[in-house]
Amino acid sequence: MPKDPLKTRLEIAKNKVSKKNLFDKKSNPSPIGTAFKLSTELVAAVAVGTIIGFIFDKTFGTKPWFILIFFFVGVVAGITNVIRSAKNMQK
Amino acid sequence: MAANPMSQFDVYRIGPEIKVGAFDISFTNASLFMIISTVSILLVFNFGSKRNSVLPNKIQLLAELSYTFVAKMISDTAGSKAKPYFAFIFSLFMFVLFCNMFGMIPYTFTVTSHIIVTFILAAFIFIGVTVIGFIKHGFGYLKLFVPSGVPAVLLPLIVVIEIISYLSRPISLSVRLFANMMAGHTMMKVFGGFVISLGLVGGWLPLSFSVALTGLEILVAFLQAYVFAILTCIYLNDALNLHH
Repeated sequence: MPKDPLKTRLEIAKNKVSKKNLFDKKSNPSPIGTAFKLSTELVAAVAVGTIIGFIFDKTFGTKPWFILIFFFVGVVAGITNVIRSAKNMQK
Repeated sequence: MAANPMSQFDVYRIGPEIKVGAFDISFTNASLFMIISTVSILLVFNFGSKRNSVLPNKIQLLAELSYTFVAKMISDTAGSKAKPYFAFIFSLFMFVLFCNMFGMIPYTFTVTSHIIVTFILAAFIFIGVTVIGFIKHGFGYLKLFVPSGVPAVLLPLIVVIEIISYLSRPISLSVRLFANMMAGHTMMKVFGGFVISLGLVGGWLPLSFSVALTGLEILVAFLQAYVFAILTCIYLNDALNLHH
């Protein structure tokens, strides 16, 4: 004896919904978004470091030194940012 | 039609020039489209919440869906403590989303493709989150810059690195939105130019690219609004639940 057609359809729909939820939780929202997030984070930290170094150099008159130091500190900060957000993504 | 792909980003004055002191606060096309998106958000949510029927019509469904979407996003990323900031994050998300989506209509202006707009949004978020952090934790908020378990020798270096990484937040937030919107719209214009210059014979290939790009851009417009809002939630989470 066949089941009630509405009930079978309801079951199929419910299965689909639960599968979809599982899928959503596992996958990232979008690969483009994550790629852009990582790259901008790296670049932004380097930019901020260089700007800070530039400002220090202007105020103290020590032309190349602070910009050199803070450029590399900015690079390190950018890499830390990338590692941190990559760790967050893996959770 | 302008052949220059960057001319779509030109800001021009509409109406008379208004000057207050040294500042030019004339009404431009950018302000026009900000007002259009704000007014349409107000209209959608006004009509959406007017009749609370059990069986929602389309506008009510849209309003309810976006409400639950943002509410879930906030509770997932920032926890229950972030509930009072729902209104802020919701309006931020809706504003960025509507600005992006209005930019997808031909002959319109994309407000978010200008770095100053996105940077002001990000700067307000940054200042707001910092102020909230200091209100909630006092000077204990500065512990955010001192990770636990670091040897004392390395501490000055680590603190400098942490401060730079904290200061880079508004820049990465604003550059991401601006670069995505500007790159996408420039690319669409360039492919549109190819269609015109290759004519009826060879223009079909760039035309098909253009169609695909339009779909991609609609996805990017939504996604960038989502990323903007979710990163605001993450920064808010750092300020509210301090455990680093």
